[in-house]
Amino acid sequence: MSTAPLTALNAMPPITRRVRAYFAPVDRINRVASVFDPSVSGQFSLSAPPSPWIDLGWIEDFSRKSLSKFSGLTTGSPGVTQFQVKETVDASVSFRFKTWSKLSMALSAGSQHMNLLAPAAGAAGNGSGSKGITPVSLAPSGSTATFLSLNAGGSASFTAGCMVAVDIDYAGQAGFVGTGVSAAYVQSAAAVNNDPDYIRRVTFNVARVTQVTTSGLQLAQPLIGGVPSSTMRVQPVLGFVDREGGDFFQEWSALFVMPGEQGERILFYYPRLQAMGGAEEAATTLVAPIERIALSAAFRALPVTDANDGQQAVCFRSFLPSAMTLI
Amino acid sequence: MENAKDTFYITLRNRLSTVNPNRTMILRAVTRPGILVEEAEAPVAELPLDVFVLRWTKLDADTQLPSTLTQMTCEIQYATAGTQNNAGLDRGRALEAMDDELLRLLCPSSAQKMNYAQTPASQMGTLIFWSQAVFEPATTVRERMGRVVTVSVFAFQEQGER
Repeated sequence: MSTAPLTALNAMPPITRRVRAYFAPVDRINRVASVFDPSVSGQFSLSAPPSPWIDLGWIEDFSRKSLSKFSGLTTGSPGVTQFQVKETVDASVSFRFKTWSKLSMALSAGSQHMNLLAPAAGAAGNGSGSKGITPVSLAPSGSTATFLSLNAGGSASFTAGCMVAVDIDYAGQAGFVGTGVSAAYVQSAAAVNNDPDYIRRVTFNVARVTQVTTSGLQLAQPLIGGVPSSTMRVQPVLGFVDREGGDFFQEWSALFVMPGEQGERILFYYPRLQAMGGAEEAATTLVAPIERIALSAAFRALPVTDANDGQQAVCFRSFLPSAMTLI
Repeated sequence: MENAKDTFYITLRNRLSTVNPNRTMILRAVTRPGILVEEAEAPVAELPLDVFVLRWTKLDADTQLPSTLTQMTCEIQYATAGTQNNAGLDRGRALEAMDDELLRLLCPSSAQKMNYAQTPASQMGTLIFWSQAVFEPATTVRERMGRVVTVSVFAFQEQGER
């Protein structure tokens, strides 16, 4: 078999107008980042990223910096640089999330990110939310990532349109907690007042309820933790809160995509990102005094080992050329 | 966008009937609050007096959001010749009264978006909101004294909405 010859095009500069961000959880317990393989998934549909990547939409003010340090190894007299050495490998990335959500807010917060549990009657006030109302247990079976099956009468605590947190009770364990995503690190049971709601207070396993039925709650979006276990319980959530303070570092894998105007694509894959600043916002004036408020985010890239050659790297940049351009 | 435009107009129309129930007009043999949308009426050589006329002009859209944010410019034009009883000598006062009414119509500066294309009208999921009014200098043409006020109306496009 033979093909007709095609005419190659001269290389063109990539021209893009926007950057799209995707994030995926890092397994903090086993220290395993989410992998993005550009040879397998590089041309994925931007609105349907491969699992476990979560689409966080178009971002703005995207900026990458290499902070790696190089220096010369000098010998002789007079000294002449004979070799170069890499002193450090370091990189940062910053941008602004245009929309606020549980995930974008948590990523930019730089510390624990909490759910504001619907407060119990008479609970003492607290800056990050007071004690929540009694959670509702899931039914032994029937739940999916988008449907919470409840026991008879369990639906009465919820209304269509409400938000819920779904996770297990805190039971005195130390270490990373949270289903699907390591949402916090518990030093000791005493540090969190042995609060059975603590994991639901920090969990990323949250969703909006679109319908309440006698058998359970239909969710508008799948839970990040997938199908919930029957030991989980559900509590209504009113909103989210983060703090300037706290000692926890969120850690996420990130992927940024610049789609080119000629079909080319530039991808930046950061296996491990940790926030390198506290919570900040940036305002863009629409018509004074109306402003759009974006979430500012800045991250330091941490290393993984490249399985191809054992080298450590903090970021992978891929380029998928447009069709028929010279390379 | 049509839902946002309809909602803005009907919000102002309903507010006008409260703010000044006496500001009415007869249009197609029907007495209505004195506010209309120019593009929804027959073309005329000269806009009616003592009526707020909404004219939609510029359109911008931020498509880099999960829900497109549209920004539509609405010019609100109005003019008066005063009253016959005062031989038009009160046209300055009459214009000032319309200025004041318009400020009250525009406050609060948001409204629940509605779909008036169906009967009964249905409530949508988002709100429209608008900027502060920008008042142009008053102009005088013979007996008519008028003004143009510009407002930017913002709305998020909802799923399936045109």
